[in-house]
Amino acid sequence: MRRAKKLHINHNSEFELDLAPLLAVMVKLVPVLLVSSAFIQVMVIETELPQVVSEAIQKQENNPNPTTVTMEMDAKEVRIITMVKGQEKIAAIPVKSAGVYDFEKINAQLVAVKKEHPEVFKIELSPEGNVPYNEIVKVMDEARQARDGSVKFPVLDSKTGKNVETQYMFPEVVFVNMMEG
Amino acid sequence: MARRPKYELPKKSNSTFTLNITSMTDMFTILLVFLLQSYSTSDVEIIPENNIRLPQSASMANPVESIKLSLSATALKIDQTLIAEVSNADFSAKDLEDKDTNFIKPLFNELDKLAKTKSDKQWVKDGKILLQADKNLPYSTLRKVMYTASMAGFPQLKLVTLVGD
Repeated sequence: MRRAKKLHINHNSEFELDLAPLLAVMVKLVPVLLVSSAFIQVMVIETELPQVVSEAIQKQENNPNPTTVTMEMDAKEVRIITMVKGQEKIAAIPVKSAGVYDFEKINAQLVAVKKEHPEVFKIELSPEGNVPYNEIVKVMDEARQARDGSVKFPVLDSKTGKNVETQYMFPEVVFVNMMEG
Repeated sequence: MARRPKYELPKKSNSTFTLNITSMTDMFTILLVFLLQSYSTSDVEIIPENNIRLPQSASMANPVESIKLSLSATALKIDQTLIAEVSNADFSAKDLEDKDTNFIKPLFNELDKLAKTKSDKQWVKDGKILLQADKNLPYSTLRKVMYTASMAGFPQLKLVTLVGD
């Protein structure tokens, strides 16, 4: 009887992966992504302009003594004015040198105000006419969040009735002196 | 003495060779990852004006569809249309209202026209404006634009900024 021929399988064999189809896909994908990529990322800061509308008046009527936080900016200093039940509390932060604002101190003061009044999310901004736009944007950045990322503020969730934590301080910015002459 | 025969490389006629594309694939993979990172997910296209240096902000809110205003040291534009000229960080007297120097007449007229012609758009109904302004301009110049926009029924102002610290 004839013996069956034994098959020799080489388990250590190497093979070359065909990368050509993968490369073909990449060659097509790269131009598509190059066209649709944004190399300059543009974002927006949302602000609201005060309007002489009945809604705003109605809100004020509902809450006759709301706590307000106002930030006045001029070439010499930044004043953070907190109005609680008709009583004014002013904190002035002078500039470091001409045109250089002390953003660290501004942020620290705003954190202190927020800790005292966690229910307030709106800040009224009142810069003088000669303040550069760039400095206003920087101050708005300081008002949005605490520099220390670990600092959180309690906020009441009306749906669950529980306190939740947020890192936002004053995300709503209103230019109050815009309507002034 | 017999001369040793010269060694000759074996010649192959009609030979083929395989191109090593591994390194090229590596390069494309890196490029693909980089491009995917910078891929724009925003549905609104903002074309930065040449002569406007936008301020940097930590805000991470994506732009939404709105009327696009741009304010540089030389001009105020809606999209690419010139509305008013700016010199020495102020508008010319002919563009401003006599009694109210914060009121920019051509801007009000244009916004009023847009509010009427594009009244079906939700962002016009909501009164949304995207403002690209040069970072060195003083607030007094911006205030005039904001004031006029607010008077024309566009109170929701969004300031365009670059991503930065």
